[in-house]
Amino acid sequence: MSTVGIPRSLFYYYYSNIWKDFLDYLKIPYVISPKTNQDILNRGMKISNDEMCLSLKNYLGHIDYLKDKCDFILVPRISNFKKDNQTCTNFWAAYDIVKNLFDINVLHYNINLEKGKTLKKGLYKIGKQLNKKHHAIKKAYKYAIIKEKKRIKQNHIINLNKLKVAKTKILIVSHPYNLYDEMLGKDIIKYLIKNNIEIIYTDKFNPKITNNLSKKNFKDLYFKYSKDNLGAIAYCEDKIDGIIFLSSFPCAPDSLANEIAMRKIKKPYLNLVIDDSSSFTGLETRLESFLDMLGGPIND
Amino acid sequence: MKECYLGIDIGSISTKGVIIDNDNNIITSAYIWTEGNPVEAVKNLLEILKTKLPKEYQIKSIGTTGSARKLIGLMLKASVVKNEITAHAIGTLTFYPNVRTILEIGGQDSKIILIKNGIIQNYAMNTLCAAGTGSFLSSQAKRLGIDVEKFGDYALKSQNPVKIAARCTVFAESDLVHKAQVGYAKEDIIAGLCKSVVLNYLNNVGKGKKIISPIIFQGGVSKNKGVVKYFKEILKEDIIVDENSHLMGAIGIAVLAKKNKTGSTYSLELKNLKFQTKAFECHRCSNSCELLKIYRNNELVDSWGSKCGKY
Repeated sequence: MSTVGIPRSLFYYYYSNIWKDFLDYLKIPYVISPKTNQDILNRGMKISNDEMCLSLKNYLGHIDYLKDKCDFILVPRISNFKKDNQTCTNFWAAYDIVKNLFDINVLHYNINLEKGKTLKKGLYKIGKQLNKKHHAIKKAYKYAIIKEKKRIKQNHIINLNKLKVAKTKILIVSHPYNLYDEMLGKDIIKYLIKNNIEIIYTDKFNPKITNNLSKKNFKDLYFKYSKDNLGAIAYCEDKIDGIIFLSSFPCAPDSLANEIAMRKIKKPYLNLVIDDSSSFTGLETRLESFLDMLGGPIND
Repeated sequence: MKECYLGIDIGSISTKGVIIDNDNNIITSAYIWTEGNPVEAVKNLLEILKTKLPKEYQIKSIGTTGSARKLIGLMLKASVVKNEITAHAIGTLTFYPNVRTILEIGGQDSKIILIKNGIIQNYAMNTLCAAGTGSFLSSQAKRLGIDVEKFGDYALKSQNPVKIAARCTVFAESDLVHKAQVGYAKEDIIAGLCKSVVLNYLNNVGKGKKIISPIIFQGGVSKNKGVVKYFKEILKEDIIVDENSHLMGAIGIAVLAKKNKTGSTYSLELKNLKFQTKAFECHRCSNSCELLKIYRNNELVDSWGSKCGKY
């Protein structure tokens, strides 16, 4: 039986649960690359060119780690969710970059709703490629998608409950693949939790609810994931104390979307850009002073 | 014996020390270059302060701020260790309670702090890029063969400053070299540099912020008259530069130290203190953390930098 490799980066933070449920149901063994560490990040830096963003470099590091540990690596191409719901070009290009850089078998599917290529078709394609029967794939897909829908609802409710907590609440506006990554954003989460802050995550809201809200404040957004983020801001701006924008260097959609958001919001905010400089000191200064500011009058 | 409080601001370029009394009056202060060695710099700073401090005063509390605040905080057993934004705001508010905007350009950082009714409302700090900060100016001063302290005087002499790209220091530098080779006068180039610092600041950290007077400009670069002049010109507002503008961070942290008295007395005698740091790379896992162990009189007091928390 062939093993599927899943890199713990980029797509992982959007689709890992669906993939895992789907593969589990079909009894296909898979390996997930470990949490990012310095070694993986260094591998990515070595392979990638200078123009790529930190997150993509990291992704390539994960692929490099997995390349001789499995038979297939799962690399989709996510290009759009209907008109004006594009994803970042890295999500378009990931498959081609991987195919060009590595000599490996790639499990591949497209998501391009403009051309009718859905997640369903994609997963069916994968199932077939792994020699599974049509009806088994159908069942596995159903199983995975129902679980995912439940999860979205649950996460949304958890986030709503967090908004009612009496602690200082900070919304972190970031892509999940930056925020939850062990080397990129985890230190920030740890620092905030240590300082007794309730963190609200933008990606945990139900995108169906938030995406429409993003139109109110920000009319012509082009990127799907920016809509997620900015919709979440519009959704809960009056219930939080501050906003932290976190983006990796040099993220193109963020440079546009976060910029608009910073001009429109009325809450205090902090803009953080992460690069591969390993020191946390600079971030700590900014976080500490931001928390001081949210703490209210300091000169009494 | 009178009580007094010491605040130290260890920046990337300069180290500042201030001693205040119970009424926030500055008893004495010192300003020296860090020269990449904060421990040595603080030792020298304390030597200077010791000779300047009248005998009847006793230090009751110490606070540290600036980029080396944690290290020096450990070394001096400080009662407060705070970031420089808070320190600057508190320092400024003690002398100017009505201030609305604080512009600050230091050696490595530049920040803008917006204040309303004595509460910090918003602030911005430069992100990754150190463009248009003090270290840029001092490296350009070296290139032109002029002391950075004299920059302001040169800039004021200029009638028509040259245009220098304000976005990025790398571009600014090539612009500068080009203009110098073409034959522009030094004054005009320096004035152009000062102007580019201002434009860079307003485009970077000041972007999208409402700058309301009274405006206070501080940090090491505020001592540069050229930069002050162009701030006034571009913002069309009056800019207040306090005579102690370079010390504001240290004053703020001294005020904070006053509030956080521990009850013990501190001495400035540190000549014999052995304070060492040892750096090494841990290879227990693939993270290869860079660790820093800190020894005080050969005794391990702390270690930083591990991701797993083992050290």
